[in-house]
Amino acid sequence: MTKHILKLFFSTGILFIVSCKPAFKTTSVQYKDYKIDNATVDTSYTSFLRPYADSVNRSMNNVIATLAVDIEKKQPEGTLGNLMADAMKVMAEKYYNTSVDAAFVNYGGIRLPVVKAGAITKGKVFEMMPFDNIIVLQKIPGKVLKEFLDHVASRGGWPVSGITMQIKNNKAENVLINGKPLNLSTTYMIANSDYVANGGDKSDMLRAIPQLNNGSLFRDALIEYFASFTNAGKQITVTIENRVTNAQ
Amino acid sequence: MLNRRKFIQQSAFTAGALLASNWSMAEDAAVQKLVILHTNDVHSRLEPFPMDGSRNQGLGGVAARAKLIEEIRAAEEQVLLLDAGDIFQGTPFFNLYKGEPEIKAMSMMGYDACTMGNHDFDGGLENFATQLNHANFPVLLCNYDFSNTPMEHKTVPYKIFKKGKLKIGVTGLGIEMKGLVPDNLFGNTIYLDPIQKLNETASILKKEKACDMVICLSHLGYQYKEDANKLSDILLAKESEYVDLIIGGHTHTFLDEPVLVKNRLGNDVVINQVGWAGLQLGRLDFEFSKEKRKKISGAKTISVGKKSL
Repeated sequence: MTKHILKLFFSTGILFIVSCKPAFKTTSVQYKDYKIDNATVDTSYTSFLRPYADSVNRSMNNVIATLAVDIEKKQPEGTLGNLMADAMKVMAEKYYNTSVDAAFVNYGGIRLPVVKAGAITKGKVFEMMPFDNIIVLQKIPGKVLKEFLDHVASRGGWPVSGITMQIKNNKAENVLINGKPLNLSTTYMIANSDYVANGGDKSDMLRAIPQLNNGSLFRDALIEYFASFTNAGKQITVTIENRVTNAQ
Repeated sequence: MLNRRKFIQQSAFTAGALLASNWSMAEDAAVQKLVILHTNDVHSRLEPFPMDGSRNQGLGGVAARAKLIEEIRAAEEQVLLLDAGDIFQGTPFFNLYKGEPEIKAMSMMGYDACTMGNHDFDGGLENFATQLNHANFPVLLCNYDFSNTPMEHKTVPYKIFKKGKLKIGVTGLGIEMKGLVPDNLFGNTIYLDPIQKLNETASILKKEKACDMVICLSHLGYQYKEDANKLSDILLAKESEYVDLIIGGHTHTFLDEPVLVKNRLGNDVVINQVGWAGLQLGRLDFEFSKEKRKKISGAKTISVGKKSL
């Protein structure tokens, strides 16, 4: 590994005019970033963690489903996001016993960059979605939905299920909901996390719209949705479907 | 601000000379040295990432970080260990234990101070206050007013560390909660203007308290390319006075090298950030010399060199 030396000479003039001045000045800085690679460890920390880790492992190591492919967090569209948005839509319909036009997941709310093919444990779902976010429904007027979609576009595209759109000049274009063009004068049943519906990630346009909230955690919904594949004897597979694309 | 390309180009011409001057200075008895170790956005990553074939497998965790810190402390006289916030949230440890092992481990490692990140609100203010009972280090914040919240009197705006002959002032800045942290989690917390509060605090530290160096632990984020006006460490550094170093967080930025920005007074501010999840430990070795070392006005030479370890 190399160590870099950064040398700087700070200008000194300004400090001479104050009465009480520091005795020393910074003259150089060397820097180094250590990779924490576990070649050596302090085992007293392993011992300290053991009781916590044992308990975490007991409740988190059970396998919920098997992932057939590596999936990743990506903009404007990624496989991890598609899976999570699909789970939001399917489970919102189940929990609220109604049809849902579209579901969203805020991009920043996905907390793993990648999930490798293989077993998905409960713990992995907690890392994917550590927040105690609740799935809520809102009846959103088409005009407000367009505003929200523009916001999603301006943030580079969020995972969505039930909608396809293109991003052009930070706006949503060619929006199709259930295959039909967005109608500004109708309302749509939209699933979101309570975080987003309450204005999180600057989604201010949603704040004033009433919510249906029965307390169902999004994370529990993910676990149940993933388990449904296992129960059907299937592995989970996800593809990019051009739900959200950047206009050329 | 000096952009990085220019910064490195300059270095090619001057690295040799500067290395030589660096060595001669190290022999000067008036030169003081301080090693700053830092983390940010560790996000409850107490254990290394699992061996599942992913990019970060086997990396991180407190046991390896602690070992490294111990080795550095054994070799260096004056060390400060700092964290720039988002200690909480990201692994099931936090869901089950609400931050207790995170804070306990930081106390064991001898962290000198931290600031608060937006995810440190995630268990609620009452929970953060409760977990701080396990902390033997202060939470530094100069721009949150916690009056009438469970966090009242649980943070301090700054702390001054005596390190050999040096006086080091450290403060902290939190990010705006509205639209980021759910309203119910930050409650009555009032967000105050970071630039104004930082300059007030840094001025106290440099001028009244005569600190030789002022460090800001910032959870504002390094830079926002999509929203150039959003306050970030880069913008903060430009608008700052009397701050020498910003240890950043929030944007999970891995910088190849610390970045230098000119502040309002034309002086250099160093910014560094080390990604997230405790994958890295940042180390900055500062050298200090007596104030009498006077440079010709306006002459600021900044360059980069490399040497093998």
